[in-house]
Amino acid sequence: MSITGSQIDGVAVATAPAARKRRLSKSLKKRLIPWLFISPFIILFLTFTLFPMLFSVYLSVHEWNPVAGLSSMEYVGLANYQLTLTDPWLWQSLYNTVWLAVVSGVPQHLLAIPVAYLLVTGLRGGLRHFYTAFMFIPYITSTVAVSLIFFSIYSANSGILNQMLLGLSDMPVFSWFFSWVPDVMPIRWLTSSDLLKPSIAMVVIWKYTGFNIVVYSAGFLTVSRDLYDAARVDGCNRWQQFWHVALPMIRPFVFFAVTLTIIGNLQLFEEPFVLTQAQSGGVAQAGLTASYYLYLVGWQWLEMGSAAAISWILFLFIAIATSVHFYFNGRKGLGEDR
Amino acid sequence: MAGVELRNLRKSFGKVEVLKGLDLKVEDGEFVALVGPSGCGKSTLLRILAGLEEETAGDVLIGGEVVNDLSPRERNIAMVFQSYALYPHMTVAENMGFNLKISSKPKAEIKARVQETAEILDLVHLLDRKPSQLSGGQRQRVAMGRALVRNPDVFLFDEPLSNLDAKLRVQMREEIKRLHHKVRTTKIYVTHDQIEAMTLADRVVILDRGIIQQVGTPTELYRNPANAFVAGFIGSPAMNFLPGMLQSDSDTARIELEDGSVLTAPRKPNHPRDGKVLLGLRPEHIMLGEGTGTSNALTGRIDLIEPTGAQNHLRIKLGGQSTTVVDNNLTEVELGQNVAVHVDPDKIHIFEAGNTA
Repeated sequence: MSITGSQIDGVAVATAPAARKRRLSKSLKKRLIPWLFISPFIILFLTFTLFPMLFSVYLSVHEWNPVAGLSSMEYVGLANYQLTLTDPWLWQSLYNTVWLAVVSGVPQHLLAIPVAYLLVTGLRGGLRHFYTAFMFIPYITSTVAVSLIFFSIYSANSGILNQMLLGLSDMPVFSWFFSWVPDVMPIRWLTSSDLLKPSIAMVVIWKYTGFNIVVYSAGFLTVSRDLYDAARVDGCNRWQQFWHVALPMIRPFVFFAVTLTIIGNLQLFEEPFVLTQAQSGGVAQAGLTASYYLYLVGWQWLEMGSAAAISWILFLFIAIATSVHFYFNGRKGLGEDR
Repeated sequence: MAGVELRNLRKSFGKVEVLKGLDLKVEDGEFVALVGPSGCGKSTLLRILAGLEEETAGDVLIGGEVVNDLSPRERNIAMVFQSYALYPHMTVAENMGFNLKISSKPKAEIKARVQETAEILDLVHLLDRKPSQLSGGQRQRVAMGRALVRNPDVFLFDEPLSNLDAKLRVQMREEIKRLHHKVRTTKIYVTHDQIEAMTLADRVVILDRGIIQQVGTPTELYRNPANAFVAGFIGSPAMNFLPGMLQSDSDTARIELEDGSVLTAPRKPNHPRDGKVLLGLRPEHIMLGEGTGTSNALTGRIDLIEPTGAQNHLRIKLGGQSTTVVDNNLTEVELGQNVAVHVDPDKIHIFEAGNTA
């Protein structure tokens, strides 16, 4: 049996659209599968990051009490921003935030850098890992738990800190330095507007120095042994090796750690919140940070619109602080000068 | 400038003894190469000289003074590292002037000395660059400049050319040699490359497993190696070793090889006692052809031909062993061909059977 040309043509005509359809669905499938694999992230990102962000922009130009439902939302333009910017508590909270960021931030690094250097250059593997892990423990401990413990340490009448100071004032050698202690007892670490911020700063330093020690240890470990040897041959003593060789070599690590500290410290919330027992930032709002203020406005006073406006002001504030840091330290910090 | 002396120097890491009682005297202005296989202790020795490592026992003397307790700074030595160890955050000028800065020299003096050294090493146009912007050869020159600028008593080089490609290595070798003629400071140069050691040094120290095997000029080491290790280490391609039985009288040493063939050589005082020995034949001393009546004739089959251009390297089975022969005449030979070779009796080395490189 022979197949004529028209028969072949007929088959070809009948099969062409089906084949094209198959090809199309195959290529569609090929294009969709990668999206399917990354869809969990996209869905989570859209739901929990992009949507809340855009919603907060929308909220910041509305007045809304969440208890009254979505229908109570009312457009107010930039009134939330205007109102917030004239609120003395905002400025007080920003001042407190910057104060805490500097006073709790700078010592973290001034302590962590030399400690990390000593750990890396002075101790061998196992012991170094043990000490590094030991100093990292505060960082992985719940902030609320840490703050609660410090709350009891700082307690004016029964806190271990005051008891220790009193004890030292009685000891033979130390009494010379601590003779003033009995006269000022009980020291109200958390209920005096002058001492509240330093007390909070101490907790922050205690908690985050370990993290920075780990970052700087990693940094110092990247410095080649040969460079230290070259520095010794060049006549450097231990201090000069640290100052002229090790420290400039870990600049990218300093830059990274300081950036994290700026961003983290400008968002301080849990430590002041627990230490002031959620009492509107403590005595004279001395412990009221910007995030704390944001929480009060949103969740205690239920003014979601103003809270959203504050969050954007805080965002702008952090962005400016980080940009200034990048502008002045970025080139050297990112190692672009090498 | 100053000479360097080691007296019964020992170094142990835990239970492992790396240097086993070294005695060595390096004269003032001399260029000495320490050469040996990996792990022989040569870099450890250099680090001890630099003061970067502490000796377990013995003394290091620089300029006649024991410096065991002195820091690297106080020893007035300069060192060129294998990795160059340039400070990446400093410019070339800052790298070179760093040790002067640490010594609190005035800025004007630092600038002048850096400039002067940069001119010697042709680095003037690179002074403002960072090490990352330099090629391997330029970094090497900066590392040398950093050592040179401080006018040290002793220069130490720790395999300074091993990170460079073959062509650059030859260039830098010439530069180091030229530099030594200009600046005749005592130089101690560690390398595992015997060609580098032979071409650069006034004297070569061969180290193996923490013991000095031989000290001598390159020619002495080549012509009169003290043992089979030195003989195998010096010379390229390496010396051939053939096991044999030695029978000697007062004038002649007679060696019977495994296949029964016999070679004779004049008896020398350093020859081992009769019995099992290692016969050492340098590839360039085995000649194709039957030679004259006095030379030792052997025959063997060609197993491999490696043309290198100027010469052919042949692998010929001689005395039951695969042996390398260098043919400078580029004789037309074929694989599998049986050829006659001969060896000048004076060029035959006889060692105790044992360790080779």
